[in-house]
Amino acid sequence: METTLFYILSAVTVFGTLCAITARQAVRAIVYLVTSFFALALIFYILGAPLVAAFEVIIYAGAIMVLFLFVIMMLELGSPEKLPKPRLADWWPAVILFLAVVGSVTVIAASRQPAIAPGFTAISVREFSQALFTRYGIAVEAISMQLLFALVGALYLGRRR
Amino acid sequence: MQTYLTLMLLFPLAGGLTCALAGRKLPRQAVEILACAAVWGSFVCAALAAASYAAPQTVTLGGWFSSFDLLIPISLYLDPLSLSLAVMIGFVCGLIHVYAVFYMRKEGDYARFFALLNIFVFAMLTLVLAESLPLLYLGWEGVGFCSYLLIGFWYTDKNNADAGRKAFITTRIGDTALVIALAWMFQLFGTLSITQLNGMGFLMPGSIVTAIGILFLIAAMGKSAQVPLMVWLPDAMAGPTPVSAMIHAATMVTAGVYLLSRMYPLIGSSATAMATIAVTGGVTAFYGATCALAQRDLKRVLAFSTISQIGYMMLGVGAGAVTAATFHLLVHAFFKALLFLGAGCVITAMHHEQDIFKMGGLRKTLPLTFWCYLAGAACLAGLPLTGGFFSKDSILVALWHKGGTLYQSLYALALLTALITAYYSFRMVYLVFGGSDGHKHVHVELKFMQLVLIPLAILGLFGGVLNLPSYIGEGFLTRFFAGLAGGAAVEGTHTEELALQAVAATIALAGLLAAYVRYGKGRSQRLLEAKAYPTAMAAFLLNGWYFDRLYQAVLIRPYQALSGVLWQKVDEGVIDDSLDRLAGGLGFSGSWLGRWSTGRVSIYIVSFAAGGALMLGYLAWLAL
Amino acid sequence: MSVPLSHVLILASVLFAMGLGCVVAWRANVIMMLIGIEIMLNAVMLTFVGGSAHWGIADGQLFALMIMALTSAEVSLALAMVVYLHRRKGSVNTDDFDSMKG
Repeated sequence: METTLFYILSAVTVFGTLCAITARQAVRAIVYLVTSFFALALIFYILGAPLVAAFEVIIYAGAIMVLFLFVIMMLELGSPEKLPKPRLADWWPAVILFLAVVGSVTVIAASRQPAIAPGFTAISVREFSQALFTRYGIAVEAISMQLLFALVGALYLGRRR
Repeated sequence: MQTYLTLMLLFPLAGGLTCALAGRKLPRQAVEILACAAVWGSFVCAALAAASYAAPQTVTLGGWFSSFDLLIPISLYLDPLSLSLAVMIGFVCGLIHVYAVFYMRKEGDYARFFALLNIFVFAMLTLVLAESLPLLYLGWEGVGFCSYLLIGFWYTDKNNADAGRKAFITTRIGDTALVIALAWMFQLFGTLSITQLNGMGFLMPGSIVTAIGILFLIAAMGKSAQVPLMVWLPDAMAGPTPVSAMIHAATMVTAGVYLLSRMYPLIGSSATAMATIAVTGGVTAFYGATCALAQRDLKRVLAFSTISQIGYMMLGVGAGAVTAATFHLLVHAFFKALLFLGAGCVITAMHHEQDIFKMGGLRKTLPLTFWCYLAGAACLAGLPLTGGFFSKDSILVALWHKGGTLYQSLYALALLTALITAYYSFRMVYLVFGGSDGHKHVHVELKFMQLVLIPLAILGLFGGVLNLPSYIGEGFLTRFFAGLAGGAAVEGTHTEELALQAVAATIALAGLLAAYVRYGKGRSQRLLEAKAYPTAMAAFLLNGWYFDRLYQAVLIRPYQALSGVLWQKVDEGVIDDSLDRLAGGLGFSGSWLGRWSTGRVSIYIVSFAAGGALMLGYLAWLAL
Repeated sequence: MSVPLSHVLILASVLFAMGLGCVVAWRANVIMMLIGIEIMLNAVMLTFVGGSAHWGIADGQLFALMIMALTSAEVSLALAMVVYLHRRKGSVNTDDFDSMKG
């Protein structure tokens, strides 16, 4: 049941992303992407990471994508339809790179096929939190500092002069 | 004894450093008193050391170098030779310092002047007292450096700065020879202690001793302005007169003679080296005297006479008479300092006019200077019973007794030189002080400056008592130096000695007479002649036998041409050009490669992604 | 659940390659480029979570969380810069920002 769900969700994710990157307007792309991220969040949940799944929804689909939307609105691009689109020729390198990366990873993943064995183990929130605030305490501090810097930087860049 | 020697060195060093570091902050009088006190303190130490002197003594003050078998302690050696020189240096330099205080009254940069004078005294005493050759070399370079700075004391005038450079570069040739000798001796003997080296000469074959002796001679040539490295001394007169008196007459220029006397036990065993030294001395003495004949500049006359007199000293060393050479060195220091200081008085009184043909009549207006100067000139000319007479005569006697064709002909040359010396000394006196067309300009300072001349005049006139000939009484220096190698008195009968002195006295008086006839009586006529263009002979002598031009043509021009070629062809043409081309090529290829950085983010991203994909593909290919 | 790890990885690589393709193709719009970067980061998160689930260790999930925090910082700065650049040049085309040309 979960296995089937995983493949369905994978298909949704891939399809959503595909629509997002080929969308004609950025706003549409973001909406497609939100869909895709919701599916991804579910995959995370299936993979035994409920916290990550929750954050995926809250932060990614919720905050970051909304931030994108705000910025697109702020930019007053006039008529977004007139923005230049990638020509067909621009897609060729993208396609080649896509094929190269996917092909390589498939080959590598297929050649190292040791373990179907133990299956996936869920990790409890307690375990997760203990690791986060004991072993990775310094990393958390560093990340918080970085967020602060980003905040200051964004304020500086964004002020009117 | 150690205290005396240490203080003797430390007084001038401390004085010099204080003047150099704090001199500008101190009031003028404080600097003057400090500088003089330092040197006189040094003299008192020297005198005390002399009073308590018993036997040659080595005093080690500390270590300097000590690695493997190279041991260079800071040690001083006190023996009759260094002691007598140290006392002389302390006394003469002290007097000249006092003189300089008044001479330089109007000069603004007194701190630098006195700092250099004091450091010079320190370096000179180091040179004289050093027990190890590197320490001696340190003093040797120290005096050269101070001399360079003091010649160019008025450095804003290009001529003065050039004269300083000329002196420094010329003496450097000699210094190089000295360093080579030092290195070679260390390689041969494994030590650089003078006392040890002097006892080791027999270990080496004669040819090596000769070579070392000649290297020392070249060193002495540079420092003591001997032919062929004498060209710097006349130009060195660009410095202030006290400097000329102290460095370029009394002390530094005699360092070469001191060096040869010091190393005499080592190099004296080589007859060839001794003969070379003697010939150099003889030729130099003759050269200096002839050049002094035609000079018009008062200080240049004295400079050439210094060259000539040092030639005599070298002649004495070459004849193996270290005592006689040192005797002449001491007496010469007194009377030549006296002459220079007198010349300084004259020049001050004449508003810095140095041409002797434009002077005259100072006998009446500056009587004290006149009498002292006369005493100095009499010593220089070797008039009987003056100090100069006895000292010069002792060298002549030594030459005569040495025997052999070479030394006999050198004796004849020395006698001829003595004649010329007497002649030009009194030519100078008659032109400067004779006549009646005197005008002068008396400063307050001049009175004090003249007073300094008196002790020097007394020492010069009666310097003979230092070493009276044996028929009058036993010489003090001869007894004092008896223990030294080469210090033994030359033996000879009293009659013979009297006869030789009579010859020397006659020669000197003949020179005086000739000068009187030509410049005493016919002074006004000579003045008229001087206005005319000089004859070829006079011009030849005036320009120092055209040695400057010879060096210009033989050494400096080719060197300049070579430098020009190296500069324009090699340096600019090859090195610079190739570097320029290389830089141009790099710049071109850089700007060509720079086109790769288009500044377009998309291209960067594509290439970056392509690189990543390539690596992934490689990994996949490995996994296949 | 019996999804092999390799399938998770392949899914991640597909997502990653699509993000890469988006970045490469959408040079005309810097916002779309940033979206491509987000897609790639999500793919990486998926890899981490998959690894974490496979070996039963919490570290992978932790890194996923950190990537999320990093991304939010990055996006806020990047979007501020987009606003700034658009204000200066009136364009979101990356090829217009070439003042560091060699």
